[in-house]
Amino acid sequence: MRRGAIPLLLVLLAGAGAGAIAAATEPPQVLFDRAGAAYREGKFDEAAKAYESILADGVDDARVHYNLANAYFKLGRLGPAILEYERCLRLDPSDDEARDNLALARGLLRDKMSEPELQYPVRVLKETIESLPSGVLAGGFLVFWFVAWGTAGFVPVTASWVRRRLLGYGACALGLVALTFGAALLYQMRQESAGIGIVMADRVDVRSGPGEGNTVLFTVHEGTRMELRHSVEAWTQVSLPNGLSGWVPARSVERV
Amino acid sequence: MRRYGAGAVLLPAVLFALLPWLATGAAADEIRVRAQVDRSEMSEGEDVRLIVEIAGPGLDRVGPPDVHDLGDFTLSGGPSVSSRFQWINGVSTSSKTYTYALTPNRSGNLTIPALAILAQGRTYRTNPVEVEVHPQGTVRTPFASPSQSPPQPSNPPPAGGRRAGAAPAALRIRSEVDRREVYVGQQVTLKVVLDTQSEILSHGPAESPSFPGFWAEEITLPERTEVRRVSIDGEPWYEITLMKRALFPTTAGALSIPPVAWQVQVRRRSADPFESFFFTPTEMVTRRSDPVTLKVLPLPAAGRPPGFSGAVGSFTLSVAADRTESRVNDAVGLKVRVAGEGNLGSAAPPGLGDLVDFKTFDPKITSNTTLQADRLRSEKVWDYVVIPLAPGSQTIPPVNFAYFDPETRAYRTVTSKALPIQVARGEAIAGGPSVAGLPQSDIRLLRRDIHYLKAAPGGLQARSVPFHRTPWFVALCLAPMLADVGILAWARTRDLSPQASRSRRERRARAAARRRLAHARRLMKPASAHPFYASVAQALTDYVGDKFHAAGAGLTHERIEALLAERGVPDDRRAAFHRCLEACDFARFAPSSSDDAAMRSALASAEEAIAGVERSLDR
Repeated sequence: MRRGAIPLLLVLLAGAGAGAIAAATEPPQVLFDRAGAAYREGKFDEAAKAYESILADGVDDARVHYNLANAYFKLGRLGPAILEYERCLRLDPSDDEARDNLALARGLLRDKMSEPELQYPVRVLKETIESLPSGVLAGGFLVFWFVAWGTAGFVPVTASWVRRRLLGYGACALGLVALTFGAALLYQMRQESAGIGIVMADRVDVRSGPGEGNTVLFTVHEGTRMELRHSVEAWTQVSLPNGLSGWVPARSVERV
Repeated sequence: MRRYGAGAVLLPAVLFALLPWLATGAAADEIRVRAQVDRSEMSEGEDVRLIVEIAGPGLDRVGPPDVHDLGDFTLSGGPSVSSRFQWINGVSTSSKTYTYALTPNRSGNLTIPALAILAQGRTYRTNPVEVEVHPQGTVRTPFASPSQSPPQPSNPPPAGGRRAGAAPAALRIRSEVDRREVYVGQQVTLKVVLDTQSEILSHGPAESPSFPGFWAEEITLPERTEVRRVSIDGEPWYEITLMKRALFPTTAGALSIPPVAWQVQVRRRSADPFESFFFTPTEMVTRRSDPVTLKVLPLPAAGRPPGFSGAVGSFTLSVAADRTESRVNDAVGLKVRVAGEGNLGSAAPPGLGDLVDFKTFDPKITSNTTLQADRLRSEKVWDYVVIPLAPGSQTIPPVNFAYFDPETRAYRTVTSKALPIQVARGEAIAGGPSVAGLPQSDIRLLRRDIHYLKAAPGGLQARSVPFHRTPWFVALCLAPMLADVGILAWARTRDLSPQASRSRRERRARAAARRRLAHARRLMKPASAHPFYASVAQALTDYVGDKFHAAGAGLTHERIEALLAERGVPDDRRAAFHRCLEACDFARFAPSSSDDAAMRSALASAEEAIAGVERSLDR
């Protein structure tokens, strides 16, 4: 009996070990499909874990962030859901579905944040720039930049004054288009590198300084979006779109 | 407490009866004891009240009567003790009374034996008292009639106030509730009861009862007054139900049902047999019940269904349509009926759900309440009118009604069945091809939810730095600028060669001629005619020199002719050029003949001549 049991145990242990290795080395695509299946069955917790492990594996795909955000949303975890939607939009600003879901999730938050109202043309321009993928902006900039300088290059080698003038005007126009693309790209890059954080704790007291001894200025709740300025030890200075600012414990906010 | 109260009511009457005797007893300056009963005849099962009176000076050292041996009686209550002190004509007397309730053990002529009392070191004995006990049920009840006339509290008592020597009425009012711990909205039945040992002639509320914090429904009492004989602490009492209310607490917490005041007209016992015989001595007394405090629990938050109606009780739901087939735009009546035990007064209507293809109107609400065994039963009917907007097999979805069941302490939801309704096309559409069309409405968003998951058929992207954030991007931006700088430098170097210089001179010949002509235009005045024509001639000569790489100074008219001919300028243009030069020379040396018009014409001819040559060379 005992002689038979030991090999059996060894086989079982080996099998378990192999299974663990298989799970650890599972390709992200397989894990992605499995997470989708779990989500369809309503096992949102399981789906979220799978998406988290895909991201931990070095994948940084907007769709994974989006799906993970959906799983968090279904679990009622609005803070992480908003964080992941923001991350998805940072990778793919043209994702309207993520934008819709983010708006829906924000509508369920405890804190209602009113952003300053923009003039119509400014708002349209901002939304247009934000909805274009940065790759498109970078590509457009490069194409127009090359064509503009190429046109300008013909000016010194052209004999006719008329042609020279035409080429000069053309180069300037193309250069302006290229600069417009460049400005939009710079705006996006600046937005990307701006420190945006999402409140992860249920409620956080925002204090007048870095430390528990400071006055509580106001309170924010899970999912609120804040601009992160700078950090002192375990405290981060934050500011809200409505102009309020203060200090919160660094662990209570997560950077997008 | 209750026992003491009953004794206290009888006591003054007894003492009043004993006063003459007490006065003489006190004068004798010794202790006197006496036993007395409140009635000499009684029924088996009832109690008799034994009053032991001790009178005399210095009663502080008097012990209670020894009641160990009561013969055929059993002690069923007491003693209640009362003391009294009097000062009459300089002589003080005091008396002490012990009152006991005794129950006879059998019927017949029974005797309460003499009781021993130890006072001031001596033993005194009371007189034995005889009581006639009848077998049970042979003594009539104290009520004149079980059915009372409607109470008239405002009527004055027929016999005025209490007379001297009258016994106080033994009655009290109680508020009873069927439960002390209830949920908000759950029924509590309040019963106001009159307990009496006196004969009641009429009764009515002294003030209109109010129940703040409750929704109250009156429970109608039967026409025939309910009288029940009960035994309280071994004494016979009669219990009359005065009022019943179904109360529904509206807020949680400790809620108090306020006291209820009742005015009762009772037959007074008179010590005067004459009065008792010839008159009906009555008395109007007002009694007030004690307040009752209830513990009202809030409805539990856990498990509360989203469409909770607020109703508490036990209910059924039925939904019926007045037809199963209809046409577009033909109204269908829907009757949603909720009925059961509990109060539906403030219940929210059960929603019809999302009727996309129907137009709905606000319901007509009818409600009705009845009482069954003191429990309020409610029925509420919501009559909806719905108008089908689209033809086909339509369905009225199941209707839900959620309520709280206090018995099981849980929320319950009753659901009706879905009602299929076959909707035919409307009259206009069935009539022919010239139809008005279906009524249109915007597509309504029923509910909001997040967009679904995304698939990744082309594989997932690994974390990477975007190209526009790499140094290669900056290098790529700088590349065309550097290339242009190179081109510019090359072009400059090329321009510095003699060949380039010649071609540049040729290229700029027309612009130079235009500048010179502009200079001549500024001189276009009769006073400066000579320099004007000299400038025009110079512009023409220099143009040819620039264009054909010749020194302008050495160019004669013939040389110019030859150069133009060499480069294939047509004869007419050559001739025009020549005429222009000659005209200038002529005018230069004969300035008197030149006026403003001639100068303007000379300038125009020069411009035309240069343009003509330029056109010929471009071909």
